[in-house]
Amino acid sequence: MATELFSIAGQVDAPGFAPWIERHARRIGVGVTLLQAASDHVEIEVEGPPALLDAMEMGCLLGPIEVWVESIVRERVCAAGA
Amino acid sequence: MSDQGAMRDHWYPVGMTKQLTAGGRDTLLMGEPIRVYLDNGAPAVSDGTGRSLPVIDRFGHVWTSLGAPNRDLFTIPEADQPGRRLVDVGVCRVRCSPLRAVENFLDIAHFPFVHTDILGSEPHTEVQRYEVEIREDVDEVWATKVKFYQPQAAKSAEGGITTDYMYRVCAPTCSVLYKTCPPKPGEWDVIALFVQPLTETLCEVWPWMALYDDAAEMTDLIHFQQMIFVQDRSVLENQLPALLPLDPGMEIPTRADMTSIAYRRWLKRHGFTYGAQLVAA
Repeated sequence: MATELFSIAGQVDAPGFAPWIERHARRIGVGVTLLQAASDHVEIEVEGPPALLDAMEMGCLLGPIEVWVESIVRERVCAAGA
Repeated sequence: MSDQGAMRDHWYPVGMTKQLTAGGRDTLLMGEPIRVYLDNGAPAVSDGTGRSLPVIDRFGHVWTSLGAPNRDLFTIPEADQPGRRLVDVGVCRVRCSPLRAVENFLDIAHFPFVHTDILGSEPHTEVQRYEVEIREDVDEVWATKVKFYQPQAAKSAEGGITTDYMYRVCAPTCSVLYKTCPPKPGEWDVIALFVQPLTETLCEVWPWMALYDDAAEMTDLIHFQQMIFVQDRSVLENQLPALLPLDPGMEIPTRADMTSIAYRRWLKRHGFTYGAQLVAA
């Protein structure tokens, strides 16, 4: 298990984006906490196995149709056992 | 009629040049009837009202557009390299979204399971990390540094090798892959997939190749590629949803799907949605 900060940049101000992130996280099986939301930037903390964090990144890169994600920068917060 | 959107103004393959006749071929392009024929020895295309459509004759195929393309058809410089054999593979009709056909072409992970003991085999199923980008200068999707173990990478291959790949999406329904050329290290074999969108859920696929292979018979080269695509067809025709989702929805893309994600993002950014599903099922 690992915890990472995802900084999601782009046109991400659609009101449905945050609920979409939560739904997608549930579907994948990772924990997610919304830390910050602005018109061009969303920060979330994601917790789960590394392969599923990759899957979360892939899903968020595409995102819902009303959102355009330009980039996602990931930063390791902590790893289990560390 | 489905919304052709921004895809209307792009070029699409509608036939093999050497198969054209004066009598012509009646077909569809994005749901609209068209006729592809020879007019005084030159390829010509008209729509259902008799209106002449723009034509390009390139890569052994006739290309046209229902709209007004504002740029030339993409180029494949390798097509002009001396010594390459240019192979018109023929046509394969597939009951799937034209975008699904391209996406499947970009997918490496299915090789061991669909093209077993040819393009992949168990236990060599892992897709190593590779790089994907949308190149702004040419407005194309590129995947590079792709490596995959293949028991028989090409007709000319003798035994298994780790094959290097590059993928390129150069038009909404066209992709070109570059892969290790077994008889000529340092060069790439070029295999292109030109997809004619008949409707949103039906397409004709025209594979085309530019290979360094002096040994194989042309019919063997064609049969090898046709065999690969027929294996893909059974998978493509059973995919659900039929349209390509531009929202991951119930799918769970992984890092191995980076090229597919980049392709879908590129489609989304340009509004290339003919054959796509905008909202998750």
